[in-house]
Amino acid sequence: MQNDGSGRILVQNLSKTFGPVAAVQNLSFAVEPGSVTGFLGPNGAGKTTTLRMLLGLVTPTAGTATISGLPYHHLGSPARIVGAVLENEGFHPKRTARNHLRVYASAIGVPDQRADEVLGLVGLSGAANRKPGEFSLGMRQRLALATALLGNPQVLVLDEPANGLDPEGILWLRNFLRAYAREGRTVLVSSHLLSEVEQTIDQVVIISHGMTRYYGSLDQLRASQQTRVLIQAADPNALVKALQEGGYTQVEPTPDGRVAVLGATRQQIGDLVAKSGLAVYGMEEDRADLERLFFQLTNGAYTGAPQYVQQQPPSPPGGWGPPPPGYGPPQQQYQVPPGYQQPGPQQGWGGQR
Amino acid sequence: MGKLITAEFRKTLTTKSWWGLMIPAVIFAFGFALGWGAFANEVGDVLDSDQTQRIADALGISTGNLPMGLLAIGHGINIGLTFPVIFGVFALAGEYSKKTITTTFLTAPNRVSVLSAKMVTYTIWGAVYGLVVAGAASLGIACTVDSERLPTSGQWLAVVGAAVLAGILATLFGIGVGAVWNSVVGSVITLTIYLLVVENVLVLLFYGLWRIDWLGGILPNGTMNGIVGAIGAQAFGAAGVKVPGLDDEAKWTLQYVAGAPGAFSWWASALIFLAWTAVFFVGGWASNQRRDIT
Repeated sequence: MQNDGSGRILVQNLSKTFGPVAAVQNLSFAVEPGSVTGFLGPNGAGKTTTLRMLLGLVTPTAGTATISGLPYHHLGSPARIVGAVLENEGFHPKRTARNHLRVYASAIGVPDQRADEVLGLVGLSGAANRKPGEFSLGMRQRLALATALLGNPQVLVLDEPANGLDPEGILWLRNFLRAYAREGRTVLVSSHLLSEVEQTIDQVVIISHGMTRYYGSLDQLRASQQTRVLIQAADPNALVKALQEGGYTQVEPTPDGRVAVLGATRQQIGDLVAKSGLAVYGMEEDRADLERLFFQLTNGAYTGAPQYVQQQPPSPPGGWGPPPPGYGPPQQQYQVPPGYQQPGPQQGWGGQR
Repeated sequence: MGKLITAEFRKTLTTKSWWGLMIPAVIFAFGFALGWGAFANEVGDVLDSDQTQRIADALGISTGNLPMGLLAIGHGINIGLTFPVIFGVFALAGEYSKKTITTTFLTAPNRVSVLSAKMVTYTIWGAVYGLVVAGAASLGIACTVDSERLPTSGQWLAVVGAAVLAGILATLFGIGVGAVWNSVVGSVITLTIYLLVVENVLVLLFYGLWRIDWLGGILPNGTMNGIVGAIGAQAFGAAGVKVPGLDDEAKWTLQYVAGAPGAFSWWASALIFLAWTAVFFVGGWASNQRRDIT
């Protein structure tokens, strides 16, 4: 076996059982260099266990996880190839940030000044002589990232890195990770919130209950979603009738009294309404956000519904298609509040990338 | 490997535990050597004159010049060696409790290299502890023992050498117990109570009730202490050598005063304690290779 130098992460049929608990079941996916890949799933889905198996901290029950073609502990000097930020990253509470980094700089075999370099990279230069015991969660995350960067690795693996970061920190991390991937390096970042990483990632692996639910590009996932048009009409019943006559069969009322039409554009509905002569007070196009799709993909695990597994090549279900059995869509959650004008199809708190 | 040893030294030197444990080690070693020195100086009274004469005859010296200081220095060193055991516990169990073990394993080629680096690093630390403790105990007896009853320079060098050996083994023993149990608090409390109380009670009880005098010669604390203590006892013909006419009770009492009741000889104690260390160290090593870091 030899390090192929690619920085490619390959997980094949990976399984881990802790006693009676199957934490990860037959998981397979690949992470390509030059992209940021999101590793998503609800809490308890098996993300952390998978990452720890990839990093040689947990021994798989079955299957393999390799980086550049090799298991972690065959990489020779692994920290020069892979940097990892894990949850509950341990720092000795009384060892200063700089000393912490110097300990591991010597373990990796990089010069001591690298400790100060990475402190600068993550914006902790001012806290070099302070102890992590006094740090905020966000500062500890930055120090964990600094530790991961010590060996200037080709691959970065981050487990829930946004935890504890303020919005400014998340924005900073996003730009940092995207720049890292642009250099042709591999970035794998886990999260239980799609919205948290949506703006950062290109590829996505969605797991739930220890199994892969979706694996592919985020754009493809996005493109698979249908749009719907929300109409506030003077006479909803008349509108529904007109819509059905016009050939729009996927029509449903919304809790706030509006009419939702699936698979239509605003233009089409506008024409229809004008022709029918009905009074309409407002109309907007609404695209199901990825979060809802994510919820659909992962929620089978918690309703006891039959599991459906998306295997590659990905063919994600239509975002507004019939929900899987046992799925009760929390309608309110996706409802635009009355009077609120949704500006664009993509609504993300972090702005457009 | 050299890189990991540097990292291990930096780990120990950038936190307080190395000196935080060395201070009490020095104080206890000095204090016990001082107290036992004063007592041992008078211990001739415990032995009846007939036996004192026999020992002195066998050793070819006059009764007033028996090296009573040797008995006391052993006691001081033995108590001081409790601290390198605790220091050793922190080596691995401490990394687990602070969760730094994750980064440690991630930045090393593999777990074997981490444990090997720790073994080398803590061997050196154990030697340092042994030396420092021996120095403190030497100072203690120098204050309270009459100069003609102090050990000869040869005896003293043997004691210091034995203390270094015992310090190394004590530290590795601590690493092993910590690695097997994987709990700093549990290991430290249990070891301290066991080493200072439980085993002493057991040894005294077995001797007092059933005249079983060898128990201290095989248990961990007894053998750890025996490495240094038996040198003192041996100087009195109470371990490793036979002095005709010295009865078993007086022999055991002398060993006890030297801090090595039941010790067969210094090297037998060293070998048996090495076996104890190996049992825990190998056990800890094996469980560490497999343990999932979650």
